[in-house]
Amino acid sequence: MVLWHRNTHIFDRDFQTVSLAFFNRYPNPYASHVISIDTISRKIDDLGKLHTTRLIKKTGKLPAWIKPFLGRITESWIIEMSVVDAQRGQLLTYTRNLDHTRVIKVEEYTHYHYIKRDDTTLVDSKVKFSSGFRMGIKHKIEEWSHRKFAENIKKSRLGMAFVMDKLETRTKLLL
Amino acid sequence: MGNIMSASFAPECTPLKDTYDKCFNQWYSEKFLKGRSMENECAEQWQTYMECVETHLVKQGIKPALDDARKEAPFENEGKPLDK
Repeated sequence: MVLWHRNTHIFDRDFQTVSLAFFNRYPNPYASHVISIDTISRKIDDLGKLHTTRLIKKTGKLPAWIKPFLGRITESWIIEMSVVDAQRGQLLTYTRNLDHTRVIKVEEYTHYHYIKRDDTTLVDSKVKFSSGFRMGIKHKIEEWSHRKFAENIKKSRLGMAFVMDKLETRTKLLL
Repeated sequence: MGNIMSASFAPECTPLKDTYDKCFNQWYSEKFLKGRSMENECAEQWQTYMECVETHLVKQGIKPALDDARKEAPFENEGKPLDK
């Protein structure tokens, strides 16, 4: 079964701040479950776009009903891929979990797009939950995924805003 | 909280990661975004950091799943999911 959730948001910031905050979004007070983040590859393609792959480790807070399937899992790994097009003011990101994918796979596609006219950055997130579970447990996954998406997206926007404030303060101090 | 250093999965690599990240941030905001450099200028810091990451990654059970995932190309369709 597959479920989709979507959320859009506008950051009142330019592309430089938003994209720099993306690369520096951990640690922040809204992401205490994130243990580590490592860049594992980075290159610039022929069109001048910057490609980055990172590996993230999180502590898992799993719902009670999933425990019989996974046991006592305390950690999970996430891969994050991103492409920055500086000329167009565009950042595309993709993340998904690397382990426990047979039970549940959560993929997030997020686009950041600079809107010159308003000097703001639009962020559009689509999240796909896929699971091998059959109908019996479907409503539980639906309910959980929906709640999880709402919680996570809120924390993620707050975390980004926090990092952007911090970056701005630092820039002011440097000037 | 905000001042805690961003950590590597391998604590031994955290200082190297920090040095690389600082160099990257500087290059990214001052050069790359301004179209002043199309070449990553932090090669030296990157090299040392990557050696550390690769050494420790081998010991992690996640390595095979990571290698598979790295072959995926999620941005081929302009970053839009193919089945949506």
